[in-house]
Amino acid sequence: MHEISPALHTAEVVHWIALVVMAIVYTLRIRWLLSFKLAKDKSAPGNPAQSDKQRGARYSLFNVTMPWSMESTRKPKGFVFYLSFVLFHLGVVAGITLAFVSTIAPDFLRVPAVGWTVMFFIVAAFLVSLYRIARRILRPLMRLISTPDDYFSLIMLTVWFAIGAATQAYLMGIWGVTSDIFQIAYLYLTSFFLLYVPFSKISHYLYYPFTRTYIGRALGQRGSYPVVRARS
Amino acid sequence: MANQAKTHKIKMMEEQLAKKLNRQVVGSLVGCVHCGMCDESCHYVLAFPDDHKMTPSYKADQVRKLFKANHDWTGSVFPWWVGADKVPLCDDDLETLKDIAFGTCTNCRRCTLSCPMGVDTATLNRIMRGLLSHVGVMPEGVRVVSKDQWEIGNQMGVLKEDYIDTIEWMSEELEEDLGHAEATIPMEKQGAKIMYCINPREVKYDPRTIKEAALIFWAAGEDWTMPTEGWDNTNFGLFSGDDGLGGACAKREYEKARELGVDKIVISECGHGFRSTRFEGVNWAGESEPVPMESSVMTMLNYVKEGKIKVDPTKNPEKMTFHDSCNNARSGGFFEEPRELLRLVSMDFQEMYPNRAEGYCCTGGGGAMSMSEYTPRRLESAKIKADQIRATGAKVVVTSCHNCVDGLNDLIKHYELDCEVKQLVNLVANALVLDEAERPVEEVSVPEEISVKPAAEAEPLAGRKILVVDDEEDVRTFLITVFEDAGAEVISASDGNEAIAMARQHQPDLISLDLSMPGKDGVETFVELRSTAETQEIPVCVVTGHPEFRQVIYDRPVPPPEGYLGKPVDEDKLVAYASHILDHRNDKAN
Repeated sequence: MHEISPALHTAEVVHWIALVVMAIVYTLRIRWLLSFKLAKDKSAPGNPAQSDKQRGARYSLFNVTMPWSMESTRKPKGFVFYLSFVLFHLGVVAGITLAFVSTIAPDFLRVPAVGWTVMFFIVAAFLVSLYRIARRILRPLMRLISTPDDYFSLIMLTVWFAIGAATQAYLMGIWGVTSDIFQIAYLYLTSFFLLYVPFSKISHYLYYPFTRTYIGRALGQRGSYPVVRARS
Repeated sequence: MANQAKTHKIKMMEEQLAKKLNRQVVGSLVGCVHCGMCDESCHYVLAFPDDHKMTPSYKADQVRKLFKANHDWTGSVFPWWVGADKVPLCDDDLETLKDIAFGTCTNCRRCTLSCPMGVDTATLNRIMRGLLSHVGVMPEGVRVVSKDQWEIGNQMGVLKEDYIDTIEWMSEELEEDLGHAEATIPMEKQGAKIMYCINPREVKYDPRTIKEAALIFWAAGEDWTMPTEGWDNTNFGLFSGDDGLGGACAKREYEKARELGVDKIVISECGHGFRSTRFEGVNWAGESEPVPMESSVMTMLNYVKEGKIKVDPTKNPEKMTFHDSCNNARSGGFFEEPRELLRLVSMDFQEMYPNRAEGYCCTGGGGAMSMSEYTPRRLESAKIKADQIRATGAKVVVTSCHNCVDGLNDLIKHYELDCEVKQLVNLVANALVLDEAERPVEEVSVPEEISVKPAAEAEPLAGRKILVVDDEEDVRTFLITVFEDAGAEVISASDGNEAIAMARQHQPDLISLDLSMPGKDGVETFVELRSTAETQEIPVCVVTGHPEFRQVIYDRPVPPPEGYLGKPVDEDKLVAYASHILDHRNDKAN
C-alpha cells in the first residue's frame, strides 16, 4: 500500500465520482442518439459482386488502422497527420491509464518499461498537441472552421498532457519532481475532463463507432465500400 | 433574443430540419471534429485554394449550426461555444446559404470517403438544400425544373405529345435504317420484359441515343417497351433535397412498370437517374417491394457476354478513357461493369487517375448544369478534371451519365482539350455486328457516284426559310451552306438586333441562333424573340459552343428552344434536327 496525502486522497475520490458521472452522461448521450429513427435502405444491394453491408461496416470501422484506405491519410501530407493522430490518441490512452492506475496501482507505473512507455506517449502527445494548436491557430482554414470548443478542448488536453508528464515523472522519481502536487492537479484536471467531455467535441469517440458503422453499411450495401483502389 | 429575431422562413427551416433527422444524419452532425482532413478531397477547394469557405466541413457546418442551436445539449445552452450562435436569422442570410449549398458543392460525396469520422458531408449539404427549397430559396433553374417534374412529370417539361413524337421519329429512322418493319420502338407494350426509362435530355437534345439503344435491343432480340408516362429516370428531388419530389418522380416509374407488368426497369445512362431510381427513390417512395432495376450498361454488358449481340471493337479504335459518374461509382458501387463493357467494344482504353469511387466529379453533378448563375465557378472548378483527362491523352472520354456528358463537354471546350465525349450506348451501337437477318436490307454496295437519293431526302428543307444568326463569319457561311444544300432558303444576321429585325420582317420557318455574340447576346436575343408577339412562334435551334445556353433550357425565362446543337456542328445532325423541328411544327399546326 502506498502512503497518500489527504489532498491526494480527496482528488482520487473526486476523480472516481467524475468517472461515474461521465458514464451516466454518456449513457444518456447514447440513448439520445438512439432515440432518432434508424433510416433503413430498402433498395436492393447495389452490385451483387461487391455489395455486403456487414463487410462495408467492418471495413469502415477499422479504416482507422488502414491509412491507405482513405486518400486523406494516404497522401504524404495526410500520412504525417495520420501519424500525429495515432500518437495523439495513444497519448490520450496513456494519460487515462496514468490517471486510473496511479490511484490504484502506482507501483505498476514505476516499472521502468511501463513507466517510460507511458511517459513516451504522453510527451509525444503533448508535442503533437502543440503542433495541433499551432495548426488550428495559424491555418486560415482551421480558424474558419474552429469553434471555442475546438480551441478549449485542445488546449485543455495539452495542459493535461503536460501535467500528466510531470505526474509520471513524480511517480518514477525522475527529473527532480518530488511533490504530489502534480498528481493532485492531474486528477482534478482529469475529473474536469471527464465531466466536460460529454458536452464537447471530445465526445466524438463515443459517436465514432456509430458514424463509421452507418456509412460503412450504407456504402457496403451499394457496393462502393471497401473502396476499390485505382489500378494501373 | 435570437428566437425573436428569426424570420418565419428560418423557423420553418428549423421545423423542417427536425423532420429530416435520423440516426445516420445526427451521427454525421455530431461526429465532425473539424480536423480539416476533408479539405483537399473537394474539387472546389483544389480550384480555389485561397477561398477556405470551399472546404466541405465549412459547408456542412451551415446545417450543423442549425442543428446544434436547436437540438444539441451544449449548443442549446451555450450556442457561441460550439459555433451555433452564427445561425441564419434573416432572409438575406438564406441567399448566402443558397450560394454555399447549391453553388459550391455538387454533392459528389468525395469528401465523405475522406472523412476519418465517417461524416457524410454530401448528405448534410443535401439536407441544407432541402431546407432552403422548403422555403422557396433555390436557384431559378432548380425551381423551374422541380416545378416541371411535379407538374408535367419530367425535368425538361417535355409534353407527352412531343415525347411520343420523338420516339416515333426515332422509331421510323430505325426502321428506315434497317429496312425491317419490325425494327421499331414498342410503346406501352403490356407484359414486355423490359421497360426502358430515359433522361428527357435524350428526347429534347440527343435523341440519337434513344435510337442507338433501340438498335441494341433489336439486335439482342429483346422484348422491351418504352412507356408513355413515367419514362423520366431523372429526379431533381436528389438535387433540391426535396424527398417528396424524389418519391413522386420515382413512384411514377415504379407504378408504370407495375401497370405494364414488366420484369424490370432498365435505366438509360444517367448517373443521378440511376442512383435516384435504383436506390434513393425506393426509400423516398416508401417502396416495400421494389421493382427489379438495372442500368442499361449492365443490360448491354450481359447481351455481349451472353452472345445476344456481337460487337467488333475495331470499330472504336480511338484512345479512350472512362470518367466515373459520382452517383454511379461512389453512391452506386457501379464502376467495374462499364469498364468491362468499354474494353469489349473498344480497342484502346486508358485509365484515368484517380478513378472509380475516388474519381473527381465532372463538376456538372448535383444539378449544377441547371444553375447557370454558377457556371463560371463551375468551369473553374473543372480544372482538376480537365488535367486528369489531358494526362490520359485520350481522344474520347466515355461516361455513363448525361450530366457528365454536358459537364465534360463544357470543360473540354473551356480548357481546349482535344477530345470528345461519348456514352457506352454510342460505342456499343457503333460496334454492333448485325446478323444476316438483322442487317439493313439495302446494304448492297452501290458505287457512290451512281447512288441517287430521292428528292425529298436530298433536299429535306426544300421550301423552308431559315434565319442563321452567328457573329463568326466562317460559322455563318458553313451553316448557310449546309442549309442551302438541304434545299432551304437562307437569310442571315451577325448580331442580336439584326436577327430580331430580320425575324420580324421575314418570318422565317426556323432560326438557327448562336448564343455568344457581342452586343445583344444570344440569350437576350432569344428572350426577346420569344417575348415578341410577331416572333414568339418561330422555332429556334440554338447552335453554340458555350454553356450559356443552359440558362434558357433550365432557368426558362421564356419557353425553351426547340433544339440545341453543340459546336462543332455535325452537318447531318443539323439538317436532321432542323427537319424534325419543322416537321413537328407542321404536325402541330395540322
